[in-house]
Amino acid sequence: MNPTRPAVAAVAAVTLLALAGCGAGADRSSSADVLRVAGPFEVHSLDPTADGEIFTRLQVTETLVTSDIEGELVPGLATEWSASPDNTEWRFELVEGATFHDGSPLTPEAAVEALEKVATVEASPLAEVPIEDIAADESAVLFDLATADLTLPAVLTHYSTAILAPSSYDDAGQVTEVVGTGPYEVTDVELPASIETAVSPEWRGEEPAIEKVAFQAVGRAESRALLAVSDQADVVFSLEPAGRSRVEGADGVRMESSLQPRTILLKLNAEHPILGDVRVRRALSMALDRESMAGAVLREEELAATHLFPPSLEAWHPDLAPLPEDEQGALDLLAEAGWEPGSDGVLERDGEPLELTLLTYPDRPELPALATAIQGALAEIGVRIEVDVTNSSEIPAGQADGSLELALIAKHFALVSDPLVDVATVFAPEGDDWGVMNWADPAVERAIEALLAGAPEPEAAEHRETIVRVAHEDLPLIPVAWYRMNAAVSDRVDGFVMDPLETTWRITDLSWAS
Amino acid sequence: MTSPLLATAADTATGGRRRPLARRTAIAGLGVLVAFALVGPLVLADPAAQDLDRYLQGPTLLEPLGRDEYGRSVVARVAHATRLSLLLASACVATALLLGTAAGIASAWFGGWVDAVLRAVSEAFVALPALLVVLLVSALASGGSLWALYLGLALAQWVEYFRVVRARSALVMGSAAVEASRLLELGPGHIVRRHLLPDLRPVLVTLASLGMVTSILAMSTLGFVKVGLQPPRAELGLMITEAFPFYDVAPWLSIAPIAVLFVLTICFLTLRDSEETA
Amino acid sequence: MTSRRLRLAGVLARRGAQGVGVAVVVSVLCFLLVLRLPGDAAYRIAAGRYGYDLVDQEAAAAVRAELGLDRSAWHRLGDWLIDLAQLDFGTSLVTSRPVAEEVGYYLLGTLQLAAVALAFAVVIGAGAGVLAARRPSGPVDRLTTAWVASVRAVPPFLLGLLLVVVFSAQLELLPAVGHGTPASLVLPAATLGLGLSGLFARVTRDAVVEVRSSEYVQFARTKGLAERWVLLRHVVRNAAVLVVPYLGVQAVVLIEGVVVVESLFSWQGLGHALVHAVFWRDVPVLQATALVLALLIVAVNTAVDLVVLWLDPRPRGSGVSA
Repeated sequence: MNPTRPAVAAVAAVTLLALAGCGAGADRSSSADVLRVAGPFEVHSLDPTADGEIFTRLQVTETLVTSDIEGELVPGLATEWSASPDNTEWRFELVEGATFHDGSPLTPEAAVEALEKVATVEASPLAEVPIEDIAADESAVLFDLATADLTLPAVLTHYSTAILAPSSYDDAGQVTEVVGTGPYEVTDVELPASIETAVSPEWRGEEPAIEKVAFQAVGRAESRALLAVSDQADVVFSLEPAGRSRVEGADGVRMESSLQPRTILLKLNAEHPILGDVRVRRALSMALDRESMAGAVLREEELAATHLFPPSLEAWHPDLAPLPEDEQGALDLLAEAGWEPGSDGVLERDGEPLELTLLTYPDRPELPALATAIQGALAEIGVRIEVDVTNSSEIPAGQADGSLELALIAKHFALVSDPLVDVATVFAPEGDDWGVMNWADPAVERAIEALLAGAPEPEAAEHRETIVRVAHEDLPLIPVAWYRMNAAVSDRVDGFVMDPLETTWRITDLSWAS
Repeated sequence: MTSPLLATAADTATGGRRRPLARRTAIAGLGVLVAFALVGPLVLADPAAQDLDRYLQGPTLLEPLGRDEYGRSVVARVAHATRLSLLLASACVATALLLGTAAGIASAWFGGWVDAVLRAVSEAFVALPALLVVLLVSALASGGSLWALYLGLALAQWVEYFRVVRARSALVMGSAAVEASRLLELGPGHIVRRHLLPDLRPVLVTLASLGMVTSILAMSTLGFVKVGLQPPRAELGLMITEAFPFYDVAPWLSIAPIAVLFVLTICFLTLRDSEETA
Repeated sequence: MTSRRLRLAGVLARRGAQGVGVAVVVSVLCFLLVLRLPGDAAYRIAAGRYGYDLVDQEAAAAVRAELGLDRSAWHRLGDWLIDLAQLDFGTSLVTSRPVAEEVGYYLLGTLQLAAVALAFAVVIGAGAGVLAARRPSGPVDRLTTAWVASVRAVPPFLLGLLLVVVFSAQLELLPAVGHGTPASLVLPAATLGLGLSGLFARVTRDAVVEVRSSEYVQFARTKGLAERWVLLRHVVRNAAVLVVPYLGVQAVVLIEGVVVVESLFSWQGLGHALVHAVFWRDVPVLQATALVLALLIVAVNTAVDLVVLWLDPRPRGSGVSA
């Protein structure tokens, strides 16, 4: 009477078993000796000037100079470097015995070929260096500069300057394969989400303990947290607060973090009819209850940014009174600037409401959340903020056409290991896409010039203080919070160290817990 | 362009077994939600007002649904989100219905090249997933304008009305009654009022309740992919997505928007089914 | 025989015309919409290429010059349509790789996902439908009806989130995200499949009920054929005639679901690529993914038409297909 029921049940059971079987099988095979790393960054290109950071982080490629955990410059592919007295001629001595993953030796000519390609790409910091010529001699790479540039070694820590083998490029000069010199070689790439590497037989150094690495890009922060707690990845970068607390409550996995030289700040148009008034800028700053914001959004009140630079950049963190929080003071300042309470709770001046648009982008999950908190805090003092969560590129575009009002950005102050390079760009008098807009100060300009020219120490400290103090008082950039880079690390892994500059993930320092 | 839920209007053969009780329950449920959506925003707290020191606070007597990650009142946000969903969905359905019906009647009425052009357009558009259209149109708007959402959803739905109305109208136009009216030269207004609309009404009501479901679901889906809406606007899908990371520490955040979404769609689906039997 | 061949030609002509119409509409629509997206395309593309820390005016200017973004929009649209006619999809503005190659990769991912999801939906849905049809208004039937309604009332992303919470976060049985391993396919496919299964269950149930009560099955029974054979020979074939057209409708549901489910589970497919292309203003990829998604629907419907023709050669009115 029931001919169908067994048949249907059987089909269903077989399907489910097959699916479950696949699942179980795959889990077993992938977990044996592969370090599974997950992060938010998708990889769209193999070119080091585009998404190159992933390959230096995975230790596939290397730069001439690199930085240690304190951010000090240390040898990479260059063992030592020196400059002529006028700092226009630089010599980088290459390490001996380095071999590309394809077996060809790292020659000065190969390095020059790679660097020459990088220097033509506008997006690389190397393009900013006034290079006349890059040449090779028998053991070194020589840079001939038009004007003195002390930052060259720091610039050469940038991932875009990683050295690829000649076989990486096709006839048109496009990167078709990443053939580097690092301890790991690429075994499989599936753009944009997956990269697999294994220890290269050509590696000149000590054999790393981790033999294979599988990197996976996972865009949604809540998904990354799930990977971490359900043991589907060994190292998971960049978790949001809710995910962090879940990891902290889970067994077999721990949170690691380090303060980054990155500040979440409000970039503003200093010639804007409203924001051009320093009293308004100070009022906005005073209205922000940074501690509560950091506590609620970042779950760590200590990240409230009372200065432009985080304490980890010691030299740039002079002893200044923290930025005050004072709602009444903010209202008084605004009243002084002519803003009076209007209808519907928004301040007005000459019938114009105090309304501003704040751009931000979702690449870092903290930003839209903080923007929402800022919107709420400023509404309290009668400032209406329209938050526009959009593509990060709207910010340089808004700067270029002058339409930008406010933007919440996360600015890294050591893209190359010396913060001075970034400070000089951020405060450039002509403005910077990720720095000041329509703001310049002669004292700051002089201090930066002196620093770039290589001012000696006690004097240099004074210059740094000048820059920070003027920025603190005039607020062309309003600091909101500092930034803690975090990662969930499985207990199966020992020796994890978080590099605050994210130059590499130091996989060679890791080992399997016994 | 087609919307799957509308395209499957024929899957209701079982609707004949719906009981009037279900219909009454659905109407009551919708009534409660509409009242909540209309009255709630007037009497409850500001849905954007933050209280950062009380983030993720659990339900209390004052805040029956607790507070979210910014310390905002969840009950106030759900009320605003419900209002947004209902208003926007109604606007989209009304627009799509008017547009689709007008085009459908025109196609059946004039025939010839009008019919050919409209049909060719609908043929091409029917293969475009609605979500694709809404996604693209919504990406147009900066600053979270609701216009793009409205336009996208309405554009995505009119084809369904067009197809059904055109087929139905063609039958009616060929009927003896209409022939007679024509012979009597009673005029197009008479034919539309006395013959077409009475015949189309039930099927339009069915399509419209399904359209409400489609719109509400599509809106929540766009909230999920974070297109077309900007903070601090409260929207059901956005609220569900934002609450997801806190599902274990603060389950009250997710339950309310999920429940409202589910009840809204179930009620409209029940209404649709009972309308078919009526 | 000739009438059948004629109708076959008719189906192919109609679907072919639809395909061409879709291609033109999609490309023009996408292009116009992308033109009106806020902001400057060169900045967006530069951000996609170089990461946002490095985008500046120089990088954007270099991108603009390289890609000819300063030419008129009509000029570029014309070029694209000409290229399309030659089946040349161009190169991605972000990755500088051929679009055909990229979209091919994503298409494979989507097809994998869709095939497993469809299999899942057919097994669960048709199974439940047949069971429900055995005793109309019985407990199984009511349960199926409730199931159908619930699945309909829940958007796919919510279904996916619920499955993730249960199977990945709580039970830790399956990976929540990922691409490439069979295990990572289970949750996204189940999400899509469950969403589709409700409709399959209902349509199957109704079809089976209708066919079982129809005269020729009654007649076959009285002829004394075994119940099993009644079911196989008549019910299945005739129910299939009613069920198969719904596959065409389901294709639309499936494609929509794909967009959401892929972005929820980080599954590398067309939907994921589409959302990214909108975000990065990668016009060639955007147009190609949208086009392929729409043509997939046309293709499925063509296949459905042909299967219906094969199953039931009698002339029928226009079906429910999209």
